[in-house]
Amino acid sequence: MSDLKQIPVVAKETGKERTNPLANVFDELIRFAQARSMFMLHYCTGCGAIELPPAMTSRFDMERLGIQPMVTPRQADILLITGYVSIKTLKRIILTYEQMPSPKYVIGICSCTVNGGMYWQSYATAKKLNEYLPVDLYIAGCMPRPEAVIEGLRLLMDNIKSGKSEPWKDYYQRYDYYLGNQQHLFGDDWQTPTDIIGEAEHFGLMGPETEGEHTRLLQQHQQPLEPHKMRLK
Amino acid sequence: MTLLDGLILLALISVLVTMLGYRLPVIGWLTSALFAGQLLVLFLMSGLGYGGDTIHSSVALSIFGQPLSWRFDALSWFFALITIGAALASSLFAAGEWGRQYRQNGGNPGLLQFSLALNVLTMLILLASGDLLALFIGWELVSWASFLLMAMAGGAAFSWAMRYITYATGGAMAILAGMGMVYQMTGSLQYADLMAVAGQLSQAQVVILSLLFGSGFAIKMGVLPFHLWQAGAYAETPGPGTAFLGSISSRMGLYGILVVLVQLIGLGRLIEIDISFTWLSLRDLLMWVAAITIILPTFTALRQNDARRLLAWHGVGQGGYMLLGIFSATALGSSGGLMHVFNHATYQAALFLSVYAVVHRTGTADLNKLGGLVTRMPLSFLVMLVGIIGLAGIPPMNGFVSKWLVYRSLLIEGMPLLFVASVIGTLGTILSVYKLIHNMFLGQLRAEHSEIREAPWSMMLPMLVLSLIVFITGFMPGLALDWVAAAQAAVGLPVLQHSLGGVEMEQGGLDMTWLVAVLFAGFGIGALLFYSTGKTRHVNQLDNYAGGHFLTADVRYHYSDHFYAGLMHRIGHWYRESFQWLESVLISLTGFVAQGASGFYRIVQPALLMLVVVVLALWVVR
Repeated sequence: MSDLKQIPVVAKETGKERTNPLANVFDELIRFAQARSMFMLHYCTGCGAIELPPAMTSRFDMERLGIQPMVTPRQADILLITGYVSIKTLKRIILTYEQMPSPKYVIGICSCTVNGGMYWQSYATAKKLNEYLPVDLYIAGCMPRPEAVIEGLRLLMDNIKSGKSEPWKDYYQRYDYYLGNQQHLFGDDWQTPTDIIGEAEHFGLMGPETEGEHTRLLQQHQQPLEPHKMRLK
Repeated sequence: MTLLDGLILLALISVLVTMLGYRLPVIGWLTSALFAGQLLVLFLMSGLGYGGDTIHSSVALSIFGQPLSWRFDALSWFFALITIGAALASSLFAAGEWGRQYRQNGGNPGLLQFSLALNVLTMLILLASGDLLALFIGWELVSWASFLLMAMAGGAAFSWAMRYITYATGGAMAILAGMGMVYQMTGSLQYADLMAVAGQLSQAQVVILSLLFGSGFAIKMGVLPFHLWQAGAYAETPGPGTAFLGSISSRMGLYGILVVLVQLIGLGRLIEIDISFTWLSLRDLLMWVAAITIILPTFTALRQNDARRLLAWHGVGQGGYMLLGIFSATALGSSGGLMHVFNHATYQAALFLSVYAVVHRTGTADLNKLGGLVTRMPLSFLVMLVGIIGLAGIPPMNGFVSKWLVYRSLLIEGMPLLFVASVIGTLGTILSVYKLIHNMFLGQLRAEHSEIREAPWSMMLPMLVLSLIVFITGFMPGLALDWVAAAQAAVGLPVLQHSLGGVEMEQGGLDMTWLVAVLFAGFGIGALLFYSTGKTRHVNQLDNYAGGHFLTADVRYHYSDHFYAGLMHRIGHWYRESFQWLESVLISLTGFVAQGASGFYRIVQPALLMLVVVVLALWVVR
């Protein structure tokens, strides 16, 4: 999904009118806050990782923009993938991505994430990352310099502030498409612990393509993981 | 017949009932009812806790011309309240399903109840003692009653109990020697006579008396360097027995110290004595012993992998705070030390009982074999949470109040190094209690524990009541400080001026009602934010991040072994276990001397016998 305009707009099922006159102000405020405090989980797969320490530390100082590293996906906003993605790694990336809470943003750094780069002939490398995950933006280069990385992150911040950066909804609304590509690569018995369809229902993000033939295939063998309930008896 | 006679008589009846009816299936409930009756009699005597007159027993004996008397003052009442309360909680815990399971596993719950009743009786006799001879008799009774409770499980417990009784006999000998010295100085063993001459004793006499009595009582407290017996002996005692021993038994040593060192000799005499070539007085030296008693056992607790051992080591360490507070000899510090006796008993009993609730369900107290039980035993988790907050001395629980009083008095009295030492001890406490609750209740639930249920109500009831007391006396510490103030007056310490919420002072007091209100307002704001912003979704624990790994139920990702690896990297090499080494040296030395003596006896036996006969004959002829 390279063009945002292609994402089908789904009307909210609740159908509630926004009666609060300050609603837009609040939305603006929340988006501003989101853009200004982003925790970044860097999934460093390839050589691009070497550009991140200077970008994060005192020379270029990413933290002045409110971007800082985070160790777990449960508290992270950005998933940064910095290089070629082998098929084995892609499974882990999808697992990690699904564990992040919404809203979440994916950035692919280096040419390898765009089209496979120098690995484009490799049988074991996923070429286009956005076939398996909704990618917010790519920072091309081999490798991009810290200035380019920060430039990309500033673009993401602008997108978030103006409310344009919503590909994460696409993963819920067109889950069947992404799952189909994943199954094509990993085999029909592919599954992750996260129940995406359940989450889509829970957060009201179901779309016409959330379910389809691939999700039916998944549901045939999926063993749902129920959370442990507190119980006295 | 006074109320005190009634109390002791009821305790005696409890012992007889448990002795005769130990086979009855309802013996647990019966004992609990009898303990409740004793608590009721104690409440009838509650005037003592608010500054009432001493209650004397109508029983009085005379041995070799030495009058023996028994009485209850505010201090005795304070300790008796904790004793009977702890016994009631422990007995109630053991009365229902725990006792049935214990019987099925080959134990004898009736014997446990009998030992509890016997311990309470002997402790009441000790607390009621009105002179040094009665004190010594009570002391020996308590030692042997504790030995029964520790040894009844047999096996490892028995060898630990033997170790205890060896230490305890040594301590009793020290006390007996001290009494001999008192008798030689005053010609009587009455409290009043010793108090009368305390001012005229020479410094050497005061030093020797304090060391003899102090070390004798300190052995029961587990003060360094006499602490090695305690954790093992307490941890091996079956279930509720541990809770009873851990919460009150070793505090009998503190009672002895309070009576002899504080009340009779007086801390003023100890402060006068300077130790040559140092800047310390004898009192300061004892305070440093107390501070080291806080630090070393607490950091030993940090390394334990058995929940019972961990708590038992904390029992040793927390005794240091009580001594530190009492030896500060100020109203603030000594009230902190005395209140810590009460506070420690409440949260320690709650902690031990919740550990034993987990042991009852899972069959293990090994911190490497548990985890994630919060969803299966939420009430036990709550009790343990309240207990560890108390043990670590964090608001709003009662442990905070007593530790605050001790810290504050150390700061006001100008003892910053001791303050730092006690804070280091608290740091170790916080680290190790986090390890305790994390390894048992948080993290990954083991597959074999997925069907576990919460402990039955007969076990939950005493645990919940105890944790409620921990919270209420933290929220309104004035309730306990009333009793503490009366006890301070009874032993001649300066009395703390307090209110329901805490202490009012010019240099900055403490009002727990405000503090708790602010704390809960903070929690309220947090809860408001949490529940008002958006939907939450619960996930399974296997839907978890492990560096991108796919987790399955057979993968253990619960980090429990070698806890605090980073800290241990720094301080691990300081654990030299010098005291264990010293103790083993002593044991081998004693064994060597004993072997030599028996060899000598065997070689020279005929001559030795002849010598004995000759000496005896000469003595008779003369």
